[in-house]
Amino acid sequence: MQSPVTPFTDDFSLDLPTFERLLDFHVRTGATAISWPHHKGESLSLTIAERKLFAEAAVRVVNGRIPVTIHVSALAVEDTMELARHAQKIGADGILAITPYFWTPSLPAIEAYFVRLCSAIELPVLSYNSPSYLAGVEITGALMSRLIERLPNFAGVKEASFNSEKFLEISRAALSSRPDFALLTGVEYLLPSIPLGGVGSYSAAGSICPNLCSQLYHACMQADWPRARELQYKVSWLWLLFRDQYPSSLKGGMVMMGRPVGPTRPPLPTASKQRQSHIRSELERLGIFDSEPHGW
Amino acid sequence: MPVLTPGLVHTPVTPFSHDGGIALEVYGKLLDFHVANGAQSLALPMHIGESVSLTDGERRALLEFAIARIGDRIPVLAHVSESGSAIAAALARHAEKAGAAAVIATTPYYWTPPATMLIEHFIAIGAATALPFFIYNAPEEMRGARITADLCRELIAKLPNFAGLVDLSLDWQFMIELMTDAPRLRPGFQLISGTELMVSPAAIGATGMFAPLAAIAPRMVRELYDLCRAEKLFEARTVQEQLAALRQSIKLGGVAGLKAAMRVMGRDCGEPRAPVLALEAVSLQRLVSELEAIALLRFEPRGW
Repeated sequence: MQSPVTPFTDDFSLDLPTFERLLDFHVRTGATAISWPHHKGESLSLTIAERKLFAEAAVRVVNGRIPVTIHVSALAVEDTMELARHAQKIGADGILAITPYFWTPSLPAIEAYFVRLCSAIELPVLSYNSPSYLAGVEITGALMSRLIERLPNFAGVKEASFNSEKFLEISRAALSSRPDFALLTGVEYLLPSIPLGGVGSYSAAGSICPNLCSQLYHACMQADWPRARELQYKVSWLWLLFRDQYPSSLKGGMVMMGRPVGPTRPPLPTASKQRQSHIRSELERLGIFDSEPHGW
Repeated sequence: MPVLTPGLVHTPVTPFSHDGGIALEVYGKLLDFHVANGAQSLALPMHIGESVSLTDGERRALLEFAIARIGDRIPVLAHVSESGSAIAAALARHAEKAGAAAVIATTPYYWTPPATMLIEHFIAIGAATALPFFIYNAPEEMRGARITADLCRELIAKLPNFAGLVDLSLDWQFMIELMTDAPRLRPGFQLISGTELMVSPAAIGATGMFAPLAAIAPRMVRELYDLCRAEKLFEARTVQEQLAALRQSIKLGGVAGLKAAMRVMGRDCGEPRAPVLALEAVSLQRLVSELEAIALLRFEPRGW
């Protein structure tokens, strides 16, 4: 599943025509769903009005070809609620929400938050678990079970611990309560998660190498582990390349692939020419230019 | 460097008698139990074997006893972690002389070492022996001190006997980054799962597993290991989930939990040494009822 970056013009304002092209590119190159705006889409650097505007554009451009989910996490929970209701109103297929930012909420506070969110809308809600970015705040296996039992639309998790024990804790709790609960990894760690009941991932590198991402997914589903391993090493190397000040390096890489999407909003830097050429040489070394589409 | 593929590695506890001494007679029975129940190698005394609660003399005597008892049935890997580099290096030299097949060490205790200090420490230990040297990455046990892929690359360049990494970080990002490079830089380099959560490491390329839970559930452990090595990863999920449940139950009480569960299985190895306390009655009761809920435990051996 692809979560597009947010294109900006040189003065850092939203670039709608490029966003439309990018959405269309993802749909044409094998995305099984679109989700916007993840942190990679600079969600926290957008105003609430901007998020609504592009959410509407995403639903309109994708036009039912694949599902569209909207990431509604915001610093203020009241904004999250507003974005969730908006997503439902414009015809999105679901929403995604991380545990609340900043406050290091307790487990009962996290539970109350998801209960309120899931009760306010009828759309499926995907939760987002990212303890390493949120000072250890996480949805435990026991809490996952309670939420599944209480909330019929609590449908899945974007899991970003990338840790065997945490993934197993959640998968054991969730799949025994709801066998079709969607266990997704935050970026393309498909090889270690699919054998444990994972069903897919969001993509970090999909705007650079959509073919590689699809091949990895299929190799895992077909249990072709030697091939999956080789592909996973390659995709993960790209993640290490882009992880630093994500998504500015990714946007720099998109320039090299002939799909420029403009700068990154501060406080994140925009990839310098020097950074771009480092990325170019890594992409060359991995053979990305030979196997992946160039331009739109 | 001699090649060693440790495979399925059992990590025995250290039994103590009521007076606090090492119960060598029980230890001998325990070692035989592990060999008879699926171990391809033994690593001892690991943290679960209370290495840090043994005196230097006890540690050496324990290793010598184990090697004599095991004979040439399976390889014995010696755990030599210490705070001081020279003390650890001396244990590594002793291990080689005693007939161990490899040495294992983690980051130094108590200190919060920067990468340069870790490199020096590991070189001091690795250079003290010609045996294969495995590094044990256990950030949760070692208060956050972790091994990085960069550190491994540097050690591969500097230590000819650095043979592999035993991973207890459980961190997919680290394991994949390591395995992208290390086996190319050092042919035969091994990733070994540091615990019985092997499915993901096996997918990434792990060829071995350390298994403290083999003291309780050697059949489940062996089944998981065999399925992982045969790359039947989807098929391994059921036994993996049961072992994850067992691990979660035991982990709360640590060594005390494992020793309590061993008693439930009819293999009494006494209580842990101070400062670790035996499980309190409430925790023990909870552990016993959790063990009863693990279906596959019914098929595990009772007694010796």
